[in-house]
Order: sequence, then structure tokens, then C-alpha cells
Amino acid sequence: MVNYVVVGLNHRTAELDFRQMASFDADKLPIGLNQLSASPGILEAMILSTCNRVEILSNVENTVEGIPAIETFLSEFSRIPLDQIQPKLYRHTETRAVHHVFRVASSLDSMILGEPQILGQMKSCYTTAVEAKTVGAYLNILLQAAFRAAKHVRSETSIGEYPVSVSSAAVELVRKIFGDLRKKKVLIVGAGEMGEATIRYLADIGVNGIYVANRSPEAAHNLAQSYEGVPVPFNELIDWIARMDIVFTSTGAAEILVNRRMMQDIMHARKNETIAFIDISVPRNIDPDVGEIDNVFCYDIDDLQAVVEANLQERQKAAAEAEKIVDMEVSTFCSKLKSFEVAPVVTQVQGHIKEICATELQRCLRKIGPQEPRQIQELESMIARIAGKIAHPLVMQLRGGQDSIDKAAYVDMIKQIFKLQKDSD
Amino acid sequence: MGWTLSVSIALYTLGLLHSLFGFCRKRKVFVKVALAMVGGGFIFHSIALVLLGIAREHFPITNLPESLCLFAWFLSLIFLLAHIRYDIKALGAFTLPLVSLLTITAFVIHEENQSIPPDLKNGWVYFHSSIAFLAYAAFFLTFVSGILYLIQEKELKTKNFRFLYFRLPSLQVCDELMRLFLTVGFVAMSLTIISGSISAPDAWGQSWSGDPKVTASLITWGIYLVLLLYRLSARWRSRRAAYISIVGFASVLITFGINWGFHTYL
Repeated sequence: MVNYVVVGLNHRTAELDFRQMASFDADKLPIGLNQLSASPGILEAMILSTCNRVEILSNVENTVEGIPAIETFLSEFSRIPLDQIQPKLYRHTETRAVHHVFRVASSLDSMILGEPQILGQMKSCYTTAVEAKTVGAYLNILLQAAFRAAKHVRSETSIGEYPVSVSSAAVELVRKIFGDLRKKKVLIVGAGEMGEATIRYLADIGVNGIYVANRSPEAAHNLAQSYEGVPVPFNELIDWIARMDIVFTSTGAAEILVNRRMMQDIMHARKNETIAFIDISVPRNIDPDVGEIDNVFCYDIDDLQAVVEANLQERQKAAAEAEKIVDMEVSTFCSKLKSFEVAPVVTQVQGHIKEICATELQRCLRKIGPQEPRQIQELESMIARIAGKIAHPLVMQLRGGQDSIDKAAYVDMIKQIFKLQKDSD
Repeated sequence: MGWTLSVSIALYTLGLLHSLFGFCRKRKVFVKVALAMVGGGFIFHSIALVLLGIAREHFPITNLPESLCLFAWFLSLIFLLAHIRYDIKALGAFTLPLVSLLTITAFVIHEENQSIPPDLKNGWVYFHSSIAFLAYAAFFLTFVSGILYLIQEKELKTKNFRFLYFRLPSLQVCDELMRLFLTVGFVAMSLTIISGSISAPDAWGQSWSGDPKVTASLITWGIYLVLLLYRLSARWRSRRAAYISIVGFASVLITFGINWGFHTYL
């Protein structure tokens, strides 16, 4: 019978320094895995080590010996005394272990809820464990099911849709205005650090044109060149704004570049076409009053913070939906696990009965002498039916059965009756 | 009205519930299920209309329940096409309530079966009335898109990043939907008026042009013509277009409601 165990620490139970001490470097993972799987009672194991968590996922002979063995291993490998590491550890067994693994994979246990990296990290730690040959059939089905659950959560809920950094939130915000940004022209005013961060992000998502203006033309020229943008003269700024769809400003200087009156003229020149300002400069470069003009949308850094805040809240809501999906996936997995556990015994029982039947049929055929092929066929199918009917109730009990009976004892009994070899996996 | 319509009502209502749930919770599977339900409802709805037409031996347009039923059918058709083409999850939550309401009303209210006078039993009249309903359905969706635009614009202007900000499509998409439905509706309404003017002299003689419904539809058509021209001239269509689409729909409702004079058959 399988005994899943998760022992580990994460951002909730341990400080960053402590997590760093306990973590496994990628190159030390195989050594760790080998040492761990040599510990008493550990049948299968994998190590999940990221900057926010260190966890051992294992299938143990029994939890009474298995959990202390894992704790000792963690303490020895990280050289943290056992009595110091123990209070930071959480221990999950059976269904709770499965539930935990599914939640971690789905990024519901992450520090930043819904962040997408954890699944990739988990997959690479799993691959390492597979290569180190410390993963067997049971951890394999657990991890595959967890990856599926994570994929399901990601495609079904909107947990990953709301960006939680300021620059990506700004892009999300202008997307709510313009939809597809690939046909839009963007002007970056200010070639400083923020300007560069924005331009890099925009170049990644791909827009129709990037234009850069800066008080010193050299800086504008350099920044524009490295991202295939167009430098524009700072003193013609107003004319260029009139031709843009989105304007990012971050000059860092305390000057208002566009005020309400100027903006009204600009809107007249551009036939009232929609324009969005993202002003990440403190103090502001754009007079917030321009946002009162029709089809002009203007956001400053505080507004972007508010978007990030709202996005986080929306992620929380999506997480509640995701938890429901995870619960469902866990119960599906647990019921599948039941039949997976008995699968080898089922095959053995069926094979055993079939073998007896086949031997007896051969003996019988030898005694009664040569027969017509049709008659042999008839005999064979009769024997097969008998074999099937004898095996059926035994198999049904193994697969589904009543939960009231002790399954492990029942499996042992079946094995004894049929004199099957002790363990098949 | 028969059991096929009740099946279709049940499916529409389930579709509506799934759509609302999917909208609020942002669960994609509910929106998909909703689409499947509405699709199923639409098939039964079509069968119901055909059976109704056979049973009453005429095109099902002679009384209020029949015409509501036909209107709902066009609405459902346009919704399905728009959803398949644009995949906008918010659309169902705003359109399906009317589809459910119309079909339920058609099911509940009872009116005497009226026969169509022989001089109105011709293809032109059937085409005329069907395409009128297509126009109404498209204008309703223009109206819905306009409302979505106004709500989203208000959220963006007032920097209110809450429930609706996350769930409604971008302004660009709302605007595109408005343009699409407006075009479909305007073309359909123009065809309605043309087909009406072709068939009317045969049926009613010379005096048909003073009919109140004809007058009302010309006004409605005029409003949408203004909207169309306004959108064509200014490159961005903005809030004003959304307002006009609301005015236009009010005019559609009036046109739909006027049923005296020659247009006694809705």
C-alpha cells in the first residue's frame, strides 16, 4: 500500500535566511536524492527546492519511521540541528499530502498567489528525481496528476491573468482601453531607468511603433536605437503626442509637459481619437485634469498601484475557484489510486486462474485425443468463461469493495490463498 | 405552444444561469456550457417554430406570442454567431436574460390564432417581417454593446478597478461590436423598408405610406443612419455613439410597439 508523505518548510513557516540554508543547489540535488532514498523506509522520493520552499515528497513504507527519517535527512544535509529545523517543518500524510502537492503545483500555496514559475520548478525537480531513479510508479502518478490539476486550474480560472507588477499592470490597463496593442503607436518620454523598463516590456509584447523623446537627444537616440524605436525631438513633443495612441512619461523632472488647454488642442488635431497617458513620473509630468477630456485617459503612479491592488484581490477570488478544482482533482486522484494500488494483484490473480485453466485444458485434450478445431474452440471459450467468473468477485472486491473491510489485510489474504509472490512492484 | 418550446426555454434558462455564473466567477467552463445549452435551446426553438408554422398553417407571426418567439429566435441566432466569432464572455450575461424572458412570455401568454389574409400570403411579406426581426435583434445587441462601452468607459475614467472593470471587454472590443451589430441592423432594416414598399401597394393600395408603423420605422432608420454617418466621419466613435445607440433602441421599441393601422400582425 502507498504512503504519501510531504515534509518541508515554506515562506510561511521559515524566514528567508533559514530557507536559504535549508535549500538544495541544483547540482547537489542528485546527491541529496541518493542519500535520501538510502534512508530507512523511504521507497520513493523527490526534492522540491525553490527560493520559497524546500519540500520532500515521498512514498514511505510507514509514516512512523518515514517522517523522522526525512527530518533527519533534511537536518543532516543542511547542517541545521534537528531541534532547530523541526519546528519549521510541516508534515502531511495520505490525502492531505496529495492535496498539498496539488495546491503547490497549482500555485495556490505560493507567496505571490498564482505566480506561474512554481510549476516549471516542480517539473524540473521531478525530472532530476527521475534521472536519479528515486521516483517510482506511485510518485510518478502523483506528480502527473498534480501537473494535470495545475494545468486545469490555469486554463479554467483567471488566477494568472492579473499582473501584479506596476509595469505589467500599466500595459494591462491600456489593454482595457485599446484591446490589441499591436497596432498602436507608443511614445516614451524620458530615457531614464523607468523609461527603459517600459520600452523593454513593450518591445516584448510588440507594438506598431515605439518613439522616444528625451531632453538630451543623445539618451533618446541611444535608447531608441537599442529597441528599434524612433527618437523624436523634445521641442516637437506636442506634435508627436498628437500622433500617438499611448504616451508613457517618466522624466523625473518636476515639470508639467501637457496641461488641459494643450490637450484640448491636441484632441482637436487628432479628431478626438482615443489616447492614454501613463505618467509614472513623481512629481507628475501630465496634468491629471486632461483625463476629464472625452477620450483621454490619464493614469499616474498611484492609479497603477490601485490596479495592482485590485489585481491581487481578483487573484484571491480566482484562487477560491481554483481551490474547488483542486479538491475535485484530489478526490478523483484518490479513487483512481485505489484501483492503481491493486492493479498488480488483480493481474496476478487473473493470470493465476487462467494458468490453471490452461493447464487443465491441455491435460484434458491429451486424454480425449484429437478433436475438430470447432470443438477445441468451444472448450477453450468455456474454460475462459469459468476463469472469468471465478476471478470476477475477487477482483471486484479488490477494486471497489466496501471501505469497511481492511483492504491491506484482504490483499494479503488473497496473496496467501493464491500463493502469489510477496510484492509485485 | 408545444413541448419543444418548453425544452428550449429550459435550455435557454440553464444557459443564462451558467453564463451569469461564468461571468461573475470568471470560470471559463461555465461559459462554454452556457454556449452549448443556448445552442441546444436554439435547435429546439427552431423545431418549435417550424412545428408551430405547420400546425397553424401560416408563418408564425400573426399574434404577440408568435412574434415574440420569432424575435427571440433571431436574437439567439445573432448571439450565437457573435459569440462564436468574437468569444466575448460578457455578452451572454447581458443578452440571454432577454432571450429567456421573450420565450417564457411567448409560452405563457395565450392569444387566438389569427389567419393571414390571402393577399398578405406571399414571400415578400414573410421576408419583410423576418428581416425586420433580424434588424430588431441586431439593434438590441448594438444597444447592449453601447451599454457595455459606457460602463467600461466610466470604470476607466473614474479609475474604479473593480468587478466590472475586470469582466467587461475592452473599449475597443465594445466599439467593434457596436459597429458590427449596427451594420447588420442597418442593412436588415433597410431591406425591411424596401421589401415593405415593394409588397405594400399590392396589399393595401396607395394609402399605406401614412401607416404609423411605417412612419416610426422611418424615424428609427433615420436615427441609425445618423449614427452610421457619425461613426464613418469621426475616426473614433466614442461615448456619443453609445448614447445614440440607446436612443435608437428606444425608437426600435416604439416601432415594435405600434400595431395599429395596417400593421396589425406585428
